[in-house]
Amino acid sequence: MVGSEHIEMIPTPAKKVWSAEVNGTPVEVLVASNAVLLDVLRDKVGTLGVKRGCDLGTCGCCTVMIDGTPRLSCLCLAGQVQDSAITTVEGLADGAHLAPIQSCFAEYGGSQCGFCTPGFLISAQALLNENDSPTDKEIACAIEGNLCRCTGYQQIIDSIQGAAAIHRGEVEAAKPASDPHPDPHPEGPEEPNMPPGHAR
Amino acid sequence: MNMSGGYRQQPGGSGQTTRKDGKRVAGKQSFPPPGSGGSRPHMTPRDLDYIPESVGGKEEQPAGSHIHDRVRTGTTVGKEIPLVDSNAKVTGQAWYGDDVRLPNEIIGKILRSPHHYARIKSIDTSKVEALPGVLAVATGEDSPHRFGVLPVTKDEHAMAVEKVRHVGDLVACVAAIDEATAMQALNLFEIEWEILDPVFDPKKGLEDAEEPIHWRGKYHLSKTNVQKRVFQEFGDRSLVEKPLAESHGKWSMAGVHHGFTEPHAVVAHWGPNGRLQLYTPQQVPHYTHRALSTVLDVPMHQINVIRTFVGGGFGGKSDPFPHEMCAAILARKSGRPVRITFDREEVYWINRGRHPSHIEVKMTADDEARISGFDIDALIDGGGFASFGHVTSYYNGVLATAPYELGSFHYTGARVWTNKPASGAMRGHGAVNTRCAVEVGLDEMAESMQVDPIDLRLANLLPPHSRTISGFRITSNGMREALEKVREGSNWDEKFRQLPLGKGIGIGCGFFISGSGLPIHWDPNRFPHATVHMQVDMDGGVTVHTGAADIGQGSTTAVAQVVSEVLALPIEMIHVRSHESDTSPVDLGSYSSRVTFMNANAAIRAALEIREQLLNAAWEILGYHPDNLVLNDRRIYYKHDPAIGVSYLKALHKAQEDKGSLIASGAYRSPPMGGVHKGAAAGLAPAYSFSAYVAEVDVDVETGIIRCTDVWAAHDCGKALNPMAVKGQIIGSCHMGLGQVLSEKMVYGRTGHLQNANLLEYKIPSVHEMPNVEPIIIESCDPEGPFGAKEAGEGPLLPILPAVVNAVYDAVGIRLRNLPLTPDVVFKGIEKMLKEMKIDDPEDLPSPRLTHSPLQSTLVARAQEHKVRDKARQRTEDTSPYVNGVLFGFDPTIPLEDQVEGWRTATEPNPEQLAELGLAGRAWLKKEQREMGGGN
Ligand code: FES
Ligand code: FES
Repeated sequence: MVGSEHIEMIPTPAKKVWSAEVNGTPVEVLVASNAVLLDVLRDKVGTLGVKRGCDLGTCGCCTVMIDGTPRLSCLCLAGQVQDSAITTVEGLADGAHLAPIQSCFAEYGGSQCGFCTPGFLISAQALLNENDSPTDKEIACAIEGNLCRCTGYQQIIDSIQGAAAIHRGEVEAAKPASDPHPDPHPEGPEEPNMPPGHAR
Repeated sequence: MNMSGGYRQQPGGSGQTTRKDGKRVAGKQSFPPPGSGGSRPHMTPRDLDYIPESVGGKEEQPAGSHIHDRVRTGTTVGKEIPLVDSNAKVTGQAWYGDDVRLPNEIIGKILRSPHHYARIKSIDTSKVEALPGVLAVATGEDSPHRFGVLPVTKDEHAMAVEKVRHVGDLVACVAAIDEATAMQALNLFEIEWEILDPVFDPKKGLEDAEEPIHWRGKYHLSKTNVQKRVFQEFGDRSLVEKPLAESHGKWSMAGVHHGFTEPHAVVAHWGPNGRLQLYTPQQVPHYTHRALSTVLDVPMHQINVIRTFVGGGFGGKSDPFPHEMCAAILARKSGRPVRITFDREEVYWINRGRHPSHIEVKMTADDEARISGFDIDALIDGGGFASFGHVTSYYNGVLATAPYELGSFHYTGARVWTNKPASGAMRGHGAVNTRCAVEVGLDEMAESMQVDPIDLRLANLLPPHSRTISGFRITSNGMREALEKVREGSNWDEKFRQLPLGKGIGIGCGFFISGSGLPIHWDPNRFPHATVHMQVDMDGGVTVHTGAADIGQGSTTAVAQVVSEVLALPIEMIHVRSHESDTSPVDLGSYSSRVTFMNANAAIRAALEIREQLLNAAWEILGYHPDNLVLNDRRIYYKHDPAIGVSYLKALHKAQEDKGSLIASGAYRSPPMGGVHKGAAAGLAPAYSFSAYVAEVDVDVETGIIRCTDVWAAHDCGKALNPMAVKGQIIGSCHMGLGQVLSEKMVYGRTGHLQNANLLEYKIPSVHEMPNVEPIIIESCDPEGPFGAKEAGEGPLLPILPAVVNAVYDAVGIRLRNLPLTPDVVFKGIEKMLKEMKIDDPEDLPSPRLTHSPLQSTLVARAQEHKVRDKARQRTEDTSPYVNGVLFGFDPTIPLEDQVEGWRTATEPNPEQLAELGLAGRAWLKKEQREMGGGN
């Protein structure tokens, strides 16, 4: 952008209908034939959870799963992935029930500022889909394309190990706060061993 | 159904609302309780493990008790809990700058300078305006007012007025219906330039220039590019004569960038009533608020600054930025919401990273291995604008005055403008580079005295509740414990100077402010540092309004935690609102590690007010005085019989009877502190954090590649409100500091051009470069911190640099003073050494070994004595005064000036000193314009 020599804009490329299955829902949008997948997802499909950190394939914030494989959406033309199944961070949870990888990132401190988190979640989920007992080294290899400036990665690895344990069925996943849980004692909690007749 | 008593419309009666035949009894309608007492059916018993022993709990307090102990309820403080906004982050719902999409938005783009230094003779925008799809164009003419983060150095414009000062400086901006059109429009500006002579080397900046980058009128230093010069001298300089050991190091440290993952982005929109809504990922929204008001010429109340989620800040999002002004100007012109998002390159053009520095440190130790003198000279490269630089110039010196007791301290600093992107504040602001130089110097002195560097440190520490040589008030101090813990954890005594060639271990310490004692924009006696508002409505949820900007460090969580702790409510009942300047009280924002200390303190005060109202209501219901009541998990009950109690909700509703929702406001202000000399306020803080790290490295002697394998990282954060978050900060700091010491560097080429403005060539450590970090939390229980807490966000970065540099020496026996220690730097160092020692094979290099001198046992004995002294002082069993100088035999009760001839506190050099000043000190050879009779 800096510099006096600017390239004249090439005439606007033709628009095409782009279709894919994003997070389980079929979408069809009109995009330029040279549109980049990241732009299409953010600007047309509206999955703003896919983040743009660099646009150059260097940060991994834009990672999405394409037919099960994590890929950098900033380095991918939309046309290349026509009609594929795309999963973004928005597609990980089952309704309000967070995927284990999501709740573990919260629980183990895998997310500080959170900007890198969507990319890490996708990379990690892709790993766990293949391998539910990864070693720390395998995890490191799976997330080597993702940059995190806040956490120093250690708690991210812990989070992924935590999620792996849930995947293996060793630990139970937490229930979301939005599940109906009517208040059994609307006025407040009971003292467990309260003798009868005392004010609640 | 009878919804139990207590909520009848009219008093009296049995609560029976229906007759036997099913008809309703008139006037006896019952209401369901408005709200709930939370989600769990039973009160959880008091968690004694998280209630301090001083108030009958089981939480140990080796560092003594705290005034907040009595309001501990064992609810959340000290527990590892997820950040309260983490679910937004893991579901992709967190909205960062570029995620704000307003209906009808248009896209703004910025035209940046292609020249390092040039005068703008004319700008022709007619072709831009004629391009279909362009809706607004703005240039410097639209923004004549200056702004800047510090009121004393406002030297920025939204867009260049008169001249551009670095490549990438803002020249003009345009808003168009889409990005492609806006980009195309940037090509159509026609600008006539007059190229000026740029300055890139900060050393050149000290000399008179044809045309200085900025002009400060009568305060301008001759015709140089010096923005700020500092001189400080404390103590007795005669102590440095006849030293037993000396260290003299000249450092050159490259500039580094914050490297946050979220590029800057801003959305501006003038609402229907002519009010500006500005969405921006800001650490310091309030300063942006002020600057916008100045630049746009509208009153502050007409602006609502909305802080979006911030994708990492580290100091890099704490200036009011020109692009924020541009968006507002374009939005005003076009009448539509304007979004500007940076690409990664632009992030580097706006910079504000750590200053490239030339630092010279001379230090001496006397025959008892006491540190008799620190002599620091720091020349820092400020780039094109002042930013936080005024403060940085001080911090480079004054933040080295602790944790050691010094015989004398001498500092000269200068910050110069150069034609590069502006440097600014970055995690560990101003303290990092000198700290590294000083800690390596200590290592070198220990080497020449043949003592263990940890024992040297342990025998020279300032105790808790003391004063530094520059007059800073130290309260809690966990330095000693931190050193002991890392020594033990790393197995130091078995490894230091005993590892084979190529393997090394090193130590480094840190000292940092926990909140700056002076609010930048106002007199601390007139307004508090931080304010928190709180509201509790019928439903029982607590809404907390604070301006604290959560940038990922978890400030929102910290505030929620302390409120939850005081009111004994589950954390999900606390809702923190901190995004909008319309609804949150003015706050200075997230910088200088102030948020936990100041905002949490303010929040505690507000919560205490609410607590009192609840207790009074419970008193009325139960008949027991609040002193005899206990708050625990949504209940208030009689201390001696938990069965006699009332639910939180019932007490709340009682308290609300006459006034509706409960409102409280809490504020924090730091106590009056510090000396009166010029610059005394710089580095002043209500508390300080301390840290000590041991790093272990592998150095490949053939290639010079350094790998840091393990780090033991002890940080004294007073009290870990949320240990998980503290550990995250420690590990994250290690990561960032490792980057600076091993690989990160802003590379300015021969022509002064920034060559690596992207994340590929700007080398941030990836997961593979991360060592195992063992975070060790030290809790020294600060008397004024919230529940004893101090900062944990910046201080932990400092020690990693010197620890690694010292470890490299331990591994291969060379002291390197050019950061970062990239393989080529290390390789050159090894080559030089091979030549000097006439060795061919690097594998034959000797690795440093240590035989203790007799001094070692003196030090160990002194450290032992001091340990006892420190413990008594920490627990305030010993409250005698202690000032820096006692170690040298001075009496702390008499001013040192009266005891020692030659004890000085000076902020300007003596004429006879002028000849011997260091590099930066030479700025003192120049005169200000007013002294030269010129300037305006
Ligand atoms: S935005 Fe795709 S890798 Fe950075
Ligand atoms: S959490 Fe901030 S970049 Fe990873």
